[in-house]
Formats: sequence, C-alpha cells, structure tokens
Amino acid sequence: MSSLGLTAYVLIWPAAAAVVMGVLTAGVVRDIRDARSNGKELV
Amino acid sequence: MYQLSTTTALLLMAAFYGLTFLLSLSIKQKKENVDGYMVSNNDVGFGISAASMTATWVWAASLYAAASSGYKYGLSGALHYGFWGALMILFIYPFGRRFRELAPRAHTLAEIMHGRHGRASQMILAGSNLLGSSISLMVNFTAAGALVAVLTPLSFIHGVLIAGGGVLAYTIWSGFRSSLLTDYAQLMAMVAAAVIIVPWIFFTLGGPRLFEEGLPQLTAEQASFWSKSAILEQGAPYFVAVLAYAIGNQTIAQRLFAVKEELIKPTFITATIGYGTIVIGLGMLGLIALLAGLEPMGGDLNNLIPQMAGTYLPPFVIGLFFIMIIGALSSTADSDLSALSSIVMTDIYGKNLARGRPNPKLMLWIGRLTMVVATLVAVIFASLKLDILSMLIFVGALWGAIVFPVITSLYWDRVTNTAFTSAVIVAFALFLVTRFELLSLQGAFAVLTELLASVGGGVVIGLMAFGFLGKVAGLTAGTVVGLVLIPFMVGFLRDYPVLLSSLVAYGASAIVTVAISLTSNKRFDFDQLAERIGAFQTGDAAPADANRDQPVVTNQGSNTKCPVSV
Repeated sequence: MSSLGLTAYVLIWPAAAAVVMGVLTAGVVRDIRDARSNGKELV
Repeated sequence: MYQLSTTTALLLMAAFYGLTFLLSLSIKQKKENVDGYMVSNNDVGFGISAASMTATWVWAASLYAAASSGYKYGLSGALHYGFWGALMILFIYPFGRRFRELAPRAHTLAEIMHGRHGRASQMILAGSNLLGSSISLMVNFTAAGALVAVLTPLSFIHGVLIAGGGVLAYTIWSGFRSSLLTDYAQLMAMVAAAVIIVPWIFFTLGGPRLFEEGLPQLTAEQASFWSKSAILEQGAPYFVAVLAYAIGNQTIAQRLFAVKEELIKPTFITATIGYGTIVIGLGMLGLIALLAGLEPMGGDLNNLIPQMAGTYLPPFVIGLFFIMIIGALSSTADSDLSALSSIVMTDIYGKNLARGRPNPKLMLWIGRLTMVVATLVAVIFASLKLDILSMLIFVGALWGAIVFPVITSLYWDRVTNTAFTSAVIVAFALFLVTRFELLSLQGAFAVLTELLASVGGGVVIGLMAFGFLGKVAGLTAGTVVGLVLIPFMVGFLRDYPVLLSSLVAYGASAIVTVAISLTSNKRFDFDQLAERIGAFQTGDAAPADANRDQPVVTNQGSNTKCPVSV
C-alpha cells in the first residue's frame, strides 16, 4: 500500500470518531429536548 | 519528557472531578428510588445510552493495550484489539433484546438467572460479575496512578487516591443515574483528545514520510495486514472472548435494562462504531511509535501513550490528554461502582437476604456502602500493584464457561439448574488444567482438549449466527465450523494454550449443558420470568407474594405448576 493509503489508514479513525461525536451530541440534545417537553427526567 | 507541574495536575483533576460532581448534583433526589439507582427509568434515550455504553466500554487499559498491540504487531495490531472489542458490543445486542423481552424490569443478569434456575446459578453469575467489576475498578485506579506518576511530579499513590475519591464522590448519591449522565461529558473529552492527538503526533513525526522511512525497518509480519502472529496471539483469543466479556459484564447489562427497548439496536450499533474508532485510533499511536523507532520507557509497553504525549505534544495538549485518560478511567470506574452496588443490592440483599421483600431505604444504603467498600478495597489493591493480568485470565475463563449456559437458559426450556452449574464447574476446571498445563498438553489429553476446542469454536460461531440469524443458521454454522476446525486444531492448537483453554471452556460447557438438559423432561415457562422479576420499589411498593422468587417449572405433559426450591 502507498504512503498516502497508509496515511489515510491512520487518520480515518480519528475522523470517524469525530463523526460519532457529532451523532452522539445530536442524540443527547434530542434526549434533553424530549425530556423537557415531556416533563420527564433525562436519566 | 515534559511533565505537568503539581499545581496544574491538581487543578486539572479538581476541575474534572468538581465539574462531574456538580453535574451529578443536578439529578440528585431527596428520596432516591432504588430501581432508578440501579437501572434508571428503563426509558433512557439514544444519545445518553449510546454515549454511556461507549464511554463505559472504553477504559484506560483498552487505550494502552491497543497501542501496545499496534507497537507489537505493526499495521494490523490496533485492528486486532479494537475491532474485536467493538464487536463485543455488537454481538450482545440480539441476546440483550431477548433478556429485556423476558424480564423488562430486571436489574442484573444474575437476577434473571435466579428467576430461571434459582440461587446456585444466580450466585455463579453474580460472583463472576463481582470479581470482574472489582478487578476492573482496580485496573482503572492503577491506570490513574501510573498516569499521574509518569506525567506529573506526584506519586502513583496520589493518582490512585484522587481518582478513587473523585469517582466515589460523584457516583455515591445517584448511582447508575450519575454514571449515565456524566458518561457523555467524559466521552467527549476522550473523543476530542483522540481527534486532536493522533493526527498531531503523526504529523509531528513526519506524516506520510514516516511510512517511507519506518516501514522498511519492520519485520515482514509487522508490515503485513495479515500477520499470523497478530491473529493467533491477539485477534483470535480476543474474538473468542467477545461473547464472554459482554455476557459477563454487569455494566453492559445495566445499560441494556436502562435504554428504551426499541432503541437497543441503534444504541448498540453506535456504541460499536464509537468504541472501534476511538480505540483503533489511539492504537495507531503504537504503530506510529514503531515506525518512528521509539523505545518504550523501562521496556513497558503501557508507558507508550503517556511517553509519546509527554515527548511530542505541547503543554496544552498534554493537559487535554491527561483529562482524556482520567475521563476514560473514571467513566468505567463509575460504571463498575454502579455494577457492584446493583449486584449486592439485588442478588445478595434483595433476592437472598431479604428473600424478595427488601426494605428500599436499607437497600439504597447497602448500595452506597458497597460503593465505599469497593472503592477502599480497589484503592488498597491498586496500591499493591498486583498482577492484574492473571486475575483477568481467571475472570475471562469463568465468563467463557458461563456464556453457553446463560444464553441457552433463556432460549431453551429444558436447561436445568444442575445442567447450568455442572457445566460451569466442569468447563472452568478444564480451563485451569489446560491454561496452566496442569496436565501436559501431549498425547491423548492434548487431542481431547483440541477436540473440545473445535466444539468451542463451533459454539462461538454458532451462538453469533444464532443471535443474528436464528436457530437453524446457528445450529448449521456451529456444526459446520466445529467439524471443519477438527483437522486444523488437532496437533496444532496445543502450542497456543491461551486460545486453546478459552475454546475448551466454551466447548466443555456446551457439551455438559446439552447432555444434562437432555436427561430432563421438565419444561420451563418463560412467561414466569417477567412476573417474578419486577421493580423493588413501585408506587404501591408491595412485593409480590412470597413465592415470587421460587423458580416454577412445569412437568412435560402436565399443566400443574410445581415450585422447586434450589
């Protein structure tokens, strides 16, 4: 595999972690909003 | 190597634990509900659940171990740690849905075993859970001590004490609810650090040029994505442990019972991806160190990550890294405390000492006292720097021995308490004999263990196929894989006792469970589980009748219910 391909292999994981962070943050915001609108506790 | 000053380190830890404590205060209730203290409200949303599952599964040891694997095995090393670890979460979810369907108000998996079989099976599972969570707690406090000793002028003991006190302070009042709420913030610290630190160190050390200069220095196995050593020494034993660690871990069971039932699948899939990306990403630091020709401090691979952080990162990013590791270990430690307290509250006090009629107030204080005792014991043992690896081997084997009996108990109505307990005892004994070579792995005994291991391989694949595709696929895959493995295993696997002994535990437990269960003509009525396992503290707070804890079986061919005391 070329150096460029191997570089992508190293860097794809932190990039994917950043995407997961975004998904989870959106999910938590939705959870907080739902809990507030339904008058329930978050946890 | 750069070190944070004592003041900076203390301020960072005070800020981390102070903010976490304040966060936990926001959910503190004057009259905490015991069920909420153990499993929240059974209605937690996707974001909080997935973040908590990911944060709990990523512990300090997994970050260090992934980097060690990357350093030792090269290109494929981090994958052979993080990928299989991530799959642990994925493979449990089909079974998790079944557990939840059968006993929606359960607090622990051992409690379900109590409802299914009775006390002996429950205590085997609860005992292994207690041991596992205690060791995990100890490992996390040890990691805190090691981190503080490497990156600050403070001592190992200082790190252990601060982490122990900090985690206990924010977990003790609201238990599992505190753990859930704080996990998101702790996970964000971990992810942010991984996103920044890995590229930072990679480009500091030369970026793509690192491969041009470093790759020729690696061995052929390290430079290959298909390294046989990496597969046989790291990947395969870990793959075998996939189901064992997921089934044996109360921290996962708690989150399974906490999340909204319809969100189990997306939660587990997201946590799988989250865990994989974070752990494999940080494991790349081991590969980068190998390519750069870095020697681990004192020859200890666990020093790799702190050493690289201290050497190649600017002070501000070292502070971020410091918080990342503290976050990783704290999120798992608070989950361990919650798991330990739930097991003692439910399985020791609720189901046994109080015989299913617990006093909620007393139960809550028993949970809190458990956390205090567990923290003290873990801090003391962490300070002694015991050989944690050998303890983990025991727990892993015990969990390997219980996977088949636990799963089949919740799908097959013929599995009996005798079958469950006998299977675990025989499998664990055979594991010990094989793993520590108490009998020489030669001749007929070696062949016998290799045949059992082939069955074990079939069991692992069969269970996974069964979880996702159903009974026919599971039985077919298990049988085919077991038969195909025989010619490969016999005469070969005796040279890999770690893998051999793990597979023997699976194979032996499956054979004993099936053999003894087939001799029974009794059938268990699974509908009884939901009736027998309920909340400890409801609106009317009245426990069901005194017989609710008695396992009920029905005789085949008869509708007469027969309570069986175990």
